[in-house]
Amino acid sequence: MGFFSKLFKGPEIDMEKSAANAKKMRLLFNQVAENGDDYRLIFGYTEDVSRFNYGFVHGSKTKIGNLIVGWNESSQTVAVVPTVPDLSGCGEATYYRRSEILKAYRNKYPTDAFVIYPDKKGYIAINAYDWLEDESLYVYVSQEEELAAFTDFFLNRFATK
Amino acid sequence: MLWKELAAILFILLAVVIFGNLWFHFVESILAALKRPFTRRKSPPVWHPLPKEKDQSEDP
Repeated sequence: MGFFSKLFKGPEIDMEKSAANAKKMRLLFNQVAENGDDYRLIFGYTEDVSRFNYGFVHGSKTKIGNLIVGWNESSQTVAVVPTVPDLSGCGEATYYRRSEILKAYRNKYPTDAFVIYPDKKGYIAINAYDWLEDESLYVYVSQEEELAAFTDFFLNRFATK
Repeated sequence: MLWKELAAILFILLAVVIFGNLWFHFVESILAALKRPFTRRKSPPVWHPLPKEKDQSEDP
């Protein structure tokens, strides 16, 4: 294959690495979630953008939080587990049951995020893509099929408006 | 003459960028120091490390 055809083809996904990370995501999720195998998984992330103005220096800071997002079709529950890009560990699972949440919808602007309001006090906006190349910021996993299944579940059976 | 002026402008821009970075980190460190007494008592979130996979060669 020539140099230019490779260049125009774009980046190629390392499927071995992706499969290994998908396995790690499952291990981590099952470790903290009750009946973890009943959930299908995708990788998602949250973005926390804050502005600063330190005199003549001003700009914005973005904090990215990696998440393992599990969903259970039968119980209509989304479980979210915080993690890190290298999947060396994870935090506690938070459950969002459709019967208990205030509202859930797919946002279009400013980002294409899945938004869940558990109550009036706060919300979680989950961003998810088929694959993200930057391993230092995001979990390296290819998830085209799973993301399509999650989008279908969220829009047709979980969203409240 | 033109090269000297260009170099001077570039030098000034570089100095502004360096000073801006130093100023940003200086203010950030002051803000972090001010926040520390309020966050000291907060317990860190529970963290579970990735479980090690069982080595199949060890199985009987």
